Amino acid sequence: MLSKLREFQYLRPRSLDEAEELIQQFGPDARILAGGTDLLVRMKERGLRARVVVDLKAIPGLAGIHAEPDGSLRIGALTTLGDIERSSHIRAHFPLLWQGASCVGSVQVRNRATVGGNLCNASPAADTAPPLLALGGEAILRGERGERRLLLEKFFTGPGRTAMGQEILVGISIPPNGAGSSLYLKHSPRRAMDIAIVSVAVRLDVDSQTGVCGKASIVLGAVAPVPLRARAAEQTLEGQRLTAQRLEDAARAAQEAAQPIGDLRGTAAYRREMVWVLTRRALVEASGAGEGSTFFQG
Amino acid sequence: MADNQKAVGVSVPRIEAREKVLGRSVYVDDLRREGMIWGKVVRSPHPRARIVHVDVTEARGLPGVVAVLTAADVPGDRYVGPLVKDQPILCSSSVRFEGDAVALVAATAEEVAETARDAVRVEYEILEPVLDPIAAMSPEAPQVQAGGNVASYSKLRRGDVEVGFRAADVIVEDSFSTQMIDHAYLEPEGAVAEVDAEGKVTIWVCSQYPHYDRQEVARVLGVSLARVRVIQTTTGGGFGGKFGSPLVSCYAALLAARTGRPAKVLYTREESLRTTVKRHPYRIHYKVGATRSGKLTAVEARFVGDTGAYLVVGRAVVGKSTSHGAGPYEVPHVKMDGYAVYTNKAPAGAMRGYGVPQVAVAYESLLDELARKLNLDPIEFRLKNVLREGSQTATGQTLLHSVGVAETLERAADARREMTPHLKTGKPYLKRGIGVGVSWHGIGAARSPSQATAYVNLCGDGSATVLCGSVDIGQGSNTLFSQIAAEELGVPLDQISVVTGDTLTTPDCEATTATRVTYLSGNAVRLAAEKAKGTALELAAKHFGCLPEHLILARGKVQVPDAALEISLTDLFKKHAVQQISALGVFSPDCTPLDPETGQGSPHATYGFGTHVALVEVDQETGAVRLVDYAAFNDVGKAINPQAVEGQIEGAVAMGTGYALSEGMIFDRGKILNPSFATYLLLTAADLPPVRVGLVEAPEPTGPYGAKGVGEPSMNPVAAAVINAIYDAVGVRIRELPAVPETVFAALKTRQPLPADR
Repeated sequence: MLSKLREFQYLRPRSLDEAEELIQQFGPDARILAGGTDLLVRMKERGLRARVVVDLKAIPGLAGIHAEPDGSLRIGALTTLGDIERSSHIRAHFPLLWQGASCVGSVQVRNRATVGGNLCNASPAADTAPPLLALGGEAILRGERGERRLLLEKFFTGPGRTAMGQEILVGISIPPNGAGSSLYLKHSPRRAMDIAIVSVAVRLDVDSQTGVCGKASIVLGAVAPVPLRARAAEQTLEGQRLTAQRLEDAARAAQEAAQPIGDLRGTAAYRREMVWVLTRRALVEASGAGEGSTFFQG
Repeated sequence: MADNQKAVGVSVPRIEAREKVLGRSVYVDDLRREGMIWGKVVRSPHPRARIVHVDVTEARGLPGVVAVLTAADVPGDRYVGPLVKDQPILCSSSVRFEGDAVALVAATAEEVAETARDAVRVEYEILEPVLDPIAAMSPEAPQVQAGGNVASYSKLRRGDVEVGFRAADVIVEDSFSTQMIDHAYLEPEGAVAEVDAEGKVTIWVCSQYPHYDRQEVARVLGVSLARVRVIQTTTGGGFGGKFGSPLVSCYAALLAARTGRPAKVLYTREESLRTTVKRHPYRIHYKVGATRSGKLTAVEARFVGDTGAYLVVGRAVVGKSTSHGAGPYEVPHVKMDGYAVYTNKAPAGAMRGYGVPQVAVAYESLLDELARKLNLDPIEFRLKNVLREGSQTATGQTLLHSVGVAETLERAADARREMTPHLKTGKPYLKRGIGVGVSWHGIGAARSPSQATAYVNLCGDGSATVLCGSVDIGQGSNTLFSQIAAEELGVPLDQISVVTGDTLTTPDCEATTATRVTYLSGNAVRLAAEKAKGTALELAAKHFGCLPEHLILARGKVQVPDAALEISLTDLFKKHAVQQISALGVFSPDCTPLDPETGQGSPHATYGFGTHVALVEVDQETGAVRLVDYAAFNDVGKAINPQAVEGQIEGAVAMGTGYALSEGMIFDRGKILNPSFATYLLLTAADLPPVRVGLVEAPEPTGPYGAKGVGEPSMNPVAAAVINAIYDAVGVRIRELPAVPETVFAALKTRQPLPADR
């Protein structure tokens, strides 16, 4: 029932080198602060006792959206979800990410929360995670030995846990999106300020001539310890012509892959049902089998 | 009012709007006093347990801790409660709900007080909690309170329901359950107390009833009422929750009295959600019969309100369900049995609607079912039965005036017609439907006598001060009082100052609850102003040598219109050595209490009515329900400040839709799992469409300018309209609130084939 922040040491490094040093120095005692929309709430209300808080916001160059000439995208870790929502480039070329970022919290939350924070908080229900996984995004990590890249698929290891060592997430890199069609669906009782009961991001490369599906990505949120790539479901579609039956089969495969738990937002059984409903719906809409593709929020 | 100025019926801005918008309003949390200490409450983690031992040694020894109090330290009475003194200030032998108070700590800093709170060691013998209200009624159930678990039983008997059901061609019958919800006001409960050099105690508290807080503080401290002064701070919402639970005032007062230092106790949101009063969850069974031609013949109902660990106002809440359970309809045969039952949960108390929203969901659902079976339009069916002038209510009260419910239904039919083109969705899995809900609400408490009192002091320059005990909790009553006084006294609004919420200077008007302030206190203010004006006109009549009836008071002058003569009040007062004219206005509504055996009587002088129309969209595959359009028609008698009335109705729709679709305390073995707004889901602006408000004004002759009230009548039909719209959309009857996606999804799975006409 804590209502006030306990005392902690607040550090504000001016460079990544300095930040990295602090992280080596304090180890797990150091909590990294970006937008603070998760960390500060946990410190105030959920009993998280942080001794040292390292605020990254004074480090230049960690925020920003960079469209590369090859069509790929680089997003600084401190880029706010609001900046992503307002980016016409992202909306036009990476609509999946735009959809995910736009449905987090409220305008106020999105103006504080960062994409890096949304990922590092490692909630299985993080709204930017399924879109970024489906887009084949990579985390750019900065550690003692310099920079490395890690597919976001391998980034999450459990609720609140990531594969990062004593490293800092500095950005996200997303390969060119091409002509793929995609959709992110979030099912939550409220249309703002709410966490998904179930979410799903799908991305399909369908040859417009042959109707055959090339690469397919299906990523589920809030139904497993991590944002879950449903590989068997993807394989159901890849190299195939997308019939209604095949889309249903893929949705069933996604449902089988889900390992939901029951909590206040829904029972495990309901979540499992919703994986089928949302995956099928997203696939139908993304593949053009539906009547017009719109961003749906239940 | 002269000079073509009108103050009543005009949407004047709120008196306090500028202060609030500029952030200058002073809320409890803004108060700081020299040397102030912070109080925190040690609470039970168990819903039912015996207290074996309380060890305060460690807490007392912490640096900065100035007091650790247990029940033994309470100098006066240890129990509080508006109807029955059954709630301990601090528990000494047993705890009855998760969050029951066991000890009180205070320290020089809030953080230290929190540490001290956690350092109080309480040893409990954990007992099996009583959770199900129906099971609790069994004599074998463990007893929550010494007097038994059935806290109250209220009855209504009119005609003979057996005869009524025999006369029916169609009978429908069903069970419903509603959930526990919180008022969820922006400002949680809090109080600051200070003791002066004479030993008098002053409390600043956000409250709906400072005079009641004073009573309880005086009892708990063991001092006279005159030694306690309670001042209401700007109050960030109440909805019933800041009435009848004076604990926070008592805690601040106990600490201030014990330490001699000013003390502040401010609940966290979690504390507010876990421990303060809630809306009664209900278990309801209804049976309704009608003839083939669509006339209601009988209503029979039994409901159990779960009042939690303490009664607070549970008896009155369930009594309101009983008197209102037949709806605003003419029904010859009615039988109602209502029970308030103790369980080991947070106490339920007053909440906007006071037992009516629960039963409205049940009877309005069944009226829709009847209409369907009779192949009648739901609005037409209701119009055949609705109360009109001259009708008798289920309590046997004949309504002579101000029965605008038929007009609200007629206007609802127009709104429904406007909504009908929007029933299409373009997606096969999205279905839309329209539902109506009709309800009523007696103005003022069903208690007799009940009264409101106000003073008006008319100054020589024509300006006036109004003193009234009814507090403004955000609904705008101070502005309303100023409008009424300005109208009577013929001055602009800025010539009126309104003083409320200070027990030292204002009369006890009872609580700001029960949709009573406009009607009762508005009348008291009007009567006082009228009397003050009358006295001034009599003085002037002597001066002019004419009859007072020929005179007009406006802008500080008394005019003789026929003779084009006038005298200023200043001159008039000087002439007669009058400094100011003070007048007292007292208003008591004309009611007769309900007979305890038959529930017959005239419990309210007048009633507010409303018909609401909801257009919802149901996702048949997920069970998600979205409100798409909403129209609300309420008969308010007269809207003294139309914009304030519209605001109340819009807020009621948000609150009622949350009740229907998303809100609810979730329990696991008596423990609340969602004491946070991240998991207790209030709807947001993004979830709600603009509300189309239609005001119906069927004037109430005994109301101020014909006004009745709107606070609760606007809340009562909302959930019923939404639930009926869900049925219209997808053909499933939701019998268990809230209609969260999973509940609707489960209902859809068992759905019968849709009726042929859709």
